[in-house]
Amino acid sequence: MEPLIEEAELSRKGAPTDPIGAPTGESVKKVDTRRKSPTQIALARLRKDKVAVICGSIFLFFVLIAIFAPLLAKLEGQDPTTLNQNLIDQYGFPTVAPNGEHWFGVEPRLGRDLFARWVYGARPSLIVAGSVTVITTIIGVIVGLVAGFLGGWIDRILSWFIDFVLSLPYLLFAIAVPAALLAVFVGNTENAGNDEVAQVRFYSLIIVLSFFGWASLARLIRGEVLGLREREFIAAAKVLGVPTRKVLFKELLPNLVAPIVISVSMALPAYIVTEAGLTYLGVGLTEPTPSWGLTIAAAQNWYRADPLYLWIPVAAITILVLALSLLGDSIRDAFDPRTRR
Amino acid sequence: MLLYILKRVLSAISVVIVTLVASFALFFFAPTDPAGVICGPRCTPERVADIEASLGLDQPKVEQIALYMKGIVVGREYSTGGVVRHCDAPCLGYSYTLGQPVTKLIGAALPVTVSIVLGGAVVYLIVGILSGTIAAQVRGTSLDRFVVGTTLVVQAIPYFVFALLIALYATFLPDSGYHPFLDNPLTWASGLLAAWLTIGVTNAASYTRYSRASMIEALGQDFVRTATSKGISRRRVVYRHGLRAGLTPVVTIFGIDLAFQLTGAIFTESIFNLPGLGLLTLRAFGQYDLPVLMGGVLIGSAVLVVMNLVVDIVYTFLDPRVRLG
Repeated sequence: MEPLIEEAELSRKGAPTDPIGAPTGESVKKVDTRRKSPTQIALARLRKDKVAVICGSIFLFFVLIAIFAPLLAKLEGQDPTTLNQNLIDQYGFPTVAPNGEHWFGVEPRLGRDLFARWVYGARPSLIVAGSVTVITTIIGVIVGLVAGFLGGWIDRILSWFIDFVLSLPYLLFAIAVPAALLAVFVGNTENAGNDEVAQVRFYSLIIVLSFFGWASLARLIRGEVLGLREREFIAAAKVLGVPTRKVLFKELLPNLVAPIVISVSMALPAYIVTEAGLTYLGVGLTEPTPSWGLTIAAAQNWYRADPLYLWIPVAAITILVLALSLLGDSIRDAFDPRTRR
Repeated sequence: MLLYILKRVLSAISVVIVTLVASFALFFFAPTDPAGVICGPRCTPERVADIEASLGLDQPKVEQIALYMKGIVVGREYSTGGVVRHCDAPCLGYSYTLGQPVTKLIGAALPVTVSIVLGGAVVYLIVGILSGTIAAQVRGTSLDRFVVGTTLVVQAIPYFVFALLIALYATFLPDSGYHPFLDNPLTWASGLLAAWLTIGVTNAASYTRYSRASMIEALGQDFVRTATSKGISRRRVVYRHGLRAGLTPVVTIFGIDLAFQLTGAIFTESIFNLPGLGLLTLRAFGQYDLPVLMGGVLIGSAVLVVMNLVVDIVYTFLDPRVRLG
């Protein structure tokens, strides 16, 4: 069988018929597409993309910072919670500039070490965005697969629910729902401790973002499945008596890798921005969690006296999101040659 | 056609009703103790009971929803500390922390949000469509690459960071703040200028990309070649013939964007301190003002649903190829 397939692929190389599997134009001339899965082809294309490699490295850099935050803080000899009141003058201004002991200086008013807060601040951003991306992707894929493949009244109910979620003003809900969730989890809000509130806020942020995030992917997957459902290989699997679960995950899912990967790569930076933005507004994470959004919110009142305080988290989040977005664009181009610029 | 519109309207109404019931359940069935929050830290049990009675919280849950719905249709009465306050229809509840009916608060906030969003839309539509059209004409040149690269970068900057930096550092812009249009259009415009420019610049990026893509497609069509071969000037071909065909998809995206911006101008409002719907909701969150939170969410949902409906219906008129059903 093997040589036959190769021959067939060779003869097809001259005139590609499948727009996704064998893209046209200059984009593919450097990548050998023979006997590779579409995912392998896309990854090979991605490795040749300089922008993607640089942006991927920047993302990796921030992930490493988040993972090794305690180690980095120890290396500096500080931690994110100690109040260095001796370094703060009576008006709240820090008396020390960035130095060997405090690499980014100290926070005005409270005197906490800024470098330690910065490295720890990478954590909630990536954890919230990462887990929301994973949750929404899993739910979105499953709902989309089921709705598209089974059809009938299940599809009608799920589609209505998808449309329903998509037509809710999610920013308003993101503000309103944590208020209710706080009461559900903590009970009386007035007696709750700071740590407890911070923890509930952390989880309710993930819950709210997940609730509103899955629907667009589910709609996309449903559409793709509607097209794939009528193809011969699915009919063949059905005739062979393959159970529905296996058809969904063994036959259909591998064909959906491209839209899923693209959606993940677009979702991650979006959720990082949303987390930081909601936290900045005061409806996301709260003290004592170190978070870039919180630091930006606190630092905006000190932007003249202490610009570094504002600019370090601003630069971090901008660079991280910029890198991830450009990486997402590259990934989309690699997986879907039709969108090539 | 009529059947299609009817179907869409019914589904829109079902979405609003489910939102109403779901958010009511979320805010009032959860053990949130709204009466205790309204009452504040120094509170007597009698006062809590009084507030609960006036909010209708002592009644069965189903009746509470019925009361709320009835309030929306015909209005209802609220009593605080013996004083009865009438809340006209459509009544969305009564804010105890601000001492005003929710409908009145939202009515005051909506013009602010609408002013921000519409003014911003004017900026990004002009800038975006113009630069997209120009980039489409010089496709492949360094100018085109520069425009596309700029849009990529602008789109990737977190919006609230961009708005904050404008608010802090662009001090040459007039101070922001909301002054009603009818009092003095000039102060109205100058107070909103910073917000308009911020929304305009960030959104212009995506509109540049949309209109560039659809203009490239439109300019490659046969009728454009025909128009050119007739000897019509290049400018006329591009801006009369090409733009008209290229703008249809942009208009659709604009409708959907506008709806989301009306419910999501929270960052702009909060950073430039403009008392719109988003800021109202944000304050309500800080003060745990459940009636206002719920009213904000409901009005936001209704605006979104209605806008989506309008876009859908308008689109079926704009583009006859859309299959109804």
